[in-house]
Amino acid sequence: MAGDVKHDYHLVKPSPWPLLASLAMLVMVLGTAGSMKGLWFIEQGNWWGPVPGFIALVFVLIGWWGDVLKESRAGDHTEVVQISLRYGMVLFIASEVMFFVAWFWEFFEMAIYHTLRANPNHSDLANPAYAPLLTWNEWPVGQVNGETVKTFDPFHLPLINTLILLLSGTTVTWAHHALQVNDRKAAITGLTLTVVLGMAFTALQVVEYMEAGFSFDGSLYGSAFFMATGFHGAHVVIGTLMLMVCLGRLLAGGMKPEKHLGFEFAAWYWHFVDVVWLFLFAFVYVTPHLVWGAGAPGLGH
Amino acid sequence: MRSGAWKYGALGVASLLGGGAAWAAPTPGGIDFQTPVTETAKRVHAFHTEVLIIITAIVIFVTLLLVWVMIRYNKKANPNPKQFSHNTTIEIIWTVAPVLILVWIAKGSFPMLYDQDVMFGVKSLDNLSAQERAAEVELRKEENVVDIKVYGNMWYWDYTYNQNTDREFIVESRMLKAGDTTRPLKPERGDIAQLSVDNPMVAPAGRYVRLKISAKDVIHSWAMPQFALKVDAVPGRLNQLWFKVDQPGVYYGQCSELCGKDHSNMPIELRILEWDQYNQWLAAAQADPTNGGRAYLDSLPRPRPSPTQVAAAQ
Amino acid sequence: MANEAKHAAGHGHDHAHDHAHDHHDPKWYSPARWLFSTNHKDIGTLYLIFAMGAGIVGFVFSGFMRAELAEPGLQLFNGTAFGGFFGTEHNYNVITTMHGLIMIFFMVMPALIGGFGNWFVPLMIGAPDMAMPRMNNISFWLLPVSFFLLILSMFVPGPPGDMGFGGGWVLYPPLSGTTGHPGLAMDLVIFSLHVAGISSILGAINFIVTILNMRAPGMTIHKMPLFAWSVLVTAFLLVLALPVLAGALTMLLTDRNFGSKFFEVSGGGDPIMFQHLFWFFGHPEVYIMILPGFGIISHVVSTFSRKPVFGYLAMAYAMVAIGFIGFVVWAHHMYTVGMDVNLKAYFVAATMVIAVPTGVKIFSWIATMWGGSIEFKVPMLWAIGFIFLFTVGGVTGVVLANAGVDHSLHDTYYVVAHFHYVLSLGAVFTLFCGWYYWFEKMWGIKYNGFIAGVHFWLMFIGSNLIFFPQHFLGMQGMPRRYVDYAEAFSEWHYWSTMGYWVAAAATVVFFIGLLEAVIRRRKAEGNPWGEGATTLEWTLSSPPPFHQYNDLPRFK
Ligand code: HEA
Ligand code: HEA
Ligand code: CUA
Ligand SMILES: [Cu+2]
Repeated sequence: MAGDVKHDYHLVKPSPWPLLASLAMLVMVLGTAGSMKGLWFIEQGNWWGPVPGFIALVFVLIGWWGDVLKESRAGDHTEVVQISLRYGMVLFIASEVMFFVAWFWEFFEMAIYHTLRANPNHSDLANPAYAPLLTWNEWPVGQVNGETVKTFDPFHLPLINTLILLLSGTTVTWAHHALQVNDRKAAITGLTLTVVLGMAFTALQVVEYMEAGFSFDGSLYGSAFFMATGFHGAHVVIGTLMLMVCLGRLLAGGMKPEKHLGFEFAAWYWHFVDVVWLFLFAFVYVTPHLVWGAGAPGLGH
Repeated sequence: MRSGAWKYGALGVASLLGGGAAWAAPTPGGIDFQTPVTETAKRVHAFHTEVLIIITAIVIFVTLLLVWVMIRYNKKANPNPKQFSHNTTIEIIWTVAPVLILVWIAKGSFPMLYDQDVMFGVKSLDNLSAQERAAEVELRKEENVVDIKVYGNMWYWDYTYNQNTDREFIVESRMLKAGDTTRPLKPERGDIAQLSVDNPMVAPAGRYVRLKISAKDVIHSWAMPQFALKVDAVPGRLNQLWFKVDQPGVYYGQCSELCGKDHSNMPIELRILEWDQYNQWLAAAQADPTNGGRAYLDSLPRPRPSPTQVAAAQ
Repeated sequence: MANEAKHAAGHGHDHAHDHAHDHHDPKWYSPARWLFSTNHKDIGTLYLIFAMGAGIVGFVFSGFMRAELAEPGLQLFNGTAFGGFFGTEHNYNVITTMHGLIMIFFMVMPALIGGFGNWFVPLMIGAPDMAMPRMNNISFWLLPVSFFLLILSMFVPGPPGDMGFGGGWVLYPPLSGTTGHPGLAMDLVIFSLHVAGISSILGAINFIVTILNMRAPGMTIHKMPLFAWSVLVTAFLLVLALPVLAGALTMLLTDRNFGSKFFEVSGGGDPIMFQHLFWFFGHPEVYIMILPGFGIISHVVSTFSRKPVFGYLAMAYAMVAIGFIGFVVWAHHMYTVGMDVNLKAYFVAATMVIAVPTGVKIFSWIATMWGGSIEFKVPMLWAIGFIFLFTVGGVTGVVLANAGVDHSLHDTYYVVAHFHYVLSLGAVFTLFCGWYYWFEKMWGIKYNGFIAGVHFWLMFIGSNLIFFPQHFLGMQGMPRRYVDYAEAFSEWHYWSTMGYWVAAAATVVFFIGLLEAVIRRRKAEGNPWGEGATTLEWTLSSPPPFHQYNDLPRFK
């Protein structure tokens, strides 16, 4: 049949990547499961469990996105297809936002209702099995090993990190504007700065983690804190990688002033990561500090 | 086995034999709630009946409409379809009418909910006679409320009495099984498979009883159908239930939150005793918590008649 | 085509390719066509085949449960029956859990959204394919991966001494934590749902983009067929709800493996928090399962009444309303956890509100038939059956919404009856409705109307017999997820199991009908339903060409 195609949509050719990506995912998951609990020949505690699947996945994704790039260069990404891709990215970010809702919800529940749950009338909690619960009316919940949690002073490293991220938000916009007017040199400078700032953020976050006065498995506080900031950190790393790919393409002469979806998406993603951080900073660092700060000895630097 | 419904009906009648005490359990072939015994439960029952009538009417209404269009507007009866697709009036009606019905349901639902959840219920004391009010006020005094602590475990319940006093003791309550050595299930004694336990929970009649409920391993749920009560036993949480039942007897409930392998094997048997009997039981059980005052309970008339008694009554 | 596939399989470069040179259709037996597909109809077919396979597994599992529950005592799960094949009471819980998860994630969702959604959203809106065909394909391929992980979980250690995860499809900790199931099984279940979740999120994004961006010229969003509307709303629910489940599952995973304390009481965590997160996903999930069905019913009712859908806009926005309210009622599944009474009151009110837009749908369907010229073809039987049965299931939902009554009915068979009426007699009826409505369109052959009619009647009688008596059981207090029960419950359990055999016969007849059609190969028409069938898919041949709408249709 075929006939003449008279529309601008992109009918993608059959592709092995989806199937291969799924298989890589399977291998990765089985490997992870093996590392955690032991499965078939994968012994419990192995560090390498997730690695083969992960490597395979990376290769598949490189192949997949490589195809996308080629199709883009071949002119398959017409106006209407670009709109599709834009919608797609926005929705992807929306789903990520909902992912973070889970961590924030958990954190707020703990932060707001901890006294309620440790209602002193519940004298039955004197049962030794529940001794730790009696610490619930302290903020933050004490660690299972008996230590008190020492929270961070938000106006130290976290504040610096906030400034870094905000700054990186401006540099990425600078790069974007430069690219639009085809000032490639400025675009490269702006993007390089953004990547550097992103890495600086990650580095400072690592420093902060190392000085933490609590641990992931110490108590609900540590769990909620590290889960939320950790997933944010992971997103910063992913965002930085996306920006680095863009930088590479820019240096290699790719990205046109009138069409640079990859760049736009990386920038959107970066702003999303930025906004999540602002929420983290406001609610996970500052608010508790202002409300309970006096009671909880902040960690000085 | 399935045709035994009438036999159990006779059993129910014959239960008067058991010293005037009530017993009840799920009725074979039953299609309604188990007979409600507390005021709260009666209220829930009545409310449910009302809602049941409403929803049945709605289903019948929808069914009649469907039948009507199938008869009147099938291809034979109406070969030429009309082509209308709007009618603002009717659309407003079928939006507003359900709203009104729901408001009506809510009007009964909320007071019932608060009555159930708020300790002592939300019934005002004002419309009681002076004497009744005095008695009620007395009953509601903190020292007259009976507290029992309930823990769910994998897979049995335990009940703490006189908690936080020097008379504190714990009764463990496990399901009776046919093959057991200590106290095997004996239907001829009136035991019911999957419902009867070795050491039942005991509470007084005519008093406000407050249960504090928690769990030690996974989530369980303490349920008592005849009181229309159910609350989850959650590790690290302390939930509360209250009831006041006037009729002594034995009531059955079952664990109602999936808790693993033997989830179906941790029933609740609640023995309600007159106040002085309750106190005697307390003393007996405190002396020998492992057997939960079983000897004393066995010495009382059985609330549930044995099959031999039933046969004699017929 | 073979040539093309080799290109793709080889290195994936295929530079100056030009649409005009997209020559012949691939042969149906070409492996690359199915493995590497980027065609929405082929992917839809894959979804349907997958759903059918998973449906058989879920169906067989429900047979195990019904056989066990036919009478009191342990029939299958007593460690000795059939050489111990069925294992112990724990394995009953495993089967129940797997039945729930499979029916929801691997039968209803793949069939209604992945299968019919893929097939008919592009056809109905006049689009040549989905917006992102490759992503469409990974949405599918992640499902077998996920299903494999789920099935594998049944054969690895769960609780001490037993295999598999038996904590219910709701996965509540601490039973699903190290306290209840320290073994690998639960980790695999978590991974399985993670993967299924990614699959659904990607699929949902694809649907939204396709619908927003690829409607034929002239088809404004307010002229779009209702099935596309239903998939649009469903897709939004998926994008917003699933990530929250993924978050909850991740916390559960780290609690189990890396010592975090989210739901761990000893460290200040709270198991109830998991329930909030789960049901924030779980309640929208039940509408995810029924909304596409609503869409299908609208088309079928209109087609066979030869009358346009009554109150089109109200129908569309009723679904939007249902989806929206669906996000703020989740804790009606948690009335017994020890919530504050004012909070319960809020959830009672919010939950009952959903009856209003749902009522709008029910009455508008009837109004569509009103004044029409109804033909009782097979799809119409399923549609009318659905409207009746969904009403029954819906109104028992309203009973459950009243917290005071739910204290009695929660976790009893009344709930089981409620949700099977809206699922097994609701979503599944819409599934078969769509199946018989689009059968010719999809496969290019006709089915035998008589066999299909027998299928309908057996299913109607069977599933009512299974689930109506369960209301009685629930009223009497029979708890859910019980492998054994007091003798008093035996009467209605017996009838329920009898009903299962009728439904089983129906399922056999279904497959006979399918086989008969395949063997006879009666040639299908482009539009077998006549003037009532007005949506774009009926303007095409049956089956439609491999790539339709090379010249986009104009919609007035
Ligand atoms: C397709 C799936 C589906 C659908 C559509 C629904 C629809 C509804 N459900 Fe259901 N539900 C489930 C699937 C579904 N449910 C599942 C799977 C569970 C159990 C999960 C588990 O624990 O495993 C559950 C459990 C469940 C509970 C918790 C019970 C418990 O565990 O204790 C509640 C409580 O409120 C509830 C309520 C409702 C309501 C009010 C609706 C409403 O949307 C119904 C609206 C429809 C109508 C009302 C009928 C048509 C309307 C009219 C004809 C208008 C006039 C009517 C009136 C004025 C009343 N459902
Ligand atoms: C869509 C969802 C769905 C469907 C269709 C069914 C169908 C059935 N279910 Fe299920 N069920 C659940 C969802 C579903 N169930 C859930 C969520 C639970 C709770 C789990 C838990 O407690 O954790 C449950 C629990 C549950 C229980 C309670 C167990 C317990 O609490 O101890 C029982 C008991 O009788 C039961 C029985 C049945 C039976 C006899 C059917 C029969 O209707 C089966 C008959 C067969 C079919 C209806 C369809 C077959 C379909 C196909 C072959 C596919 C066709 C495909 C295409 C055309 C593409 N189910
Ligand atoms: Cu304990 Cu179920
Ligand atoms: Cu719900």
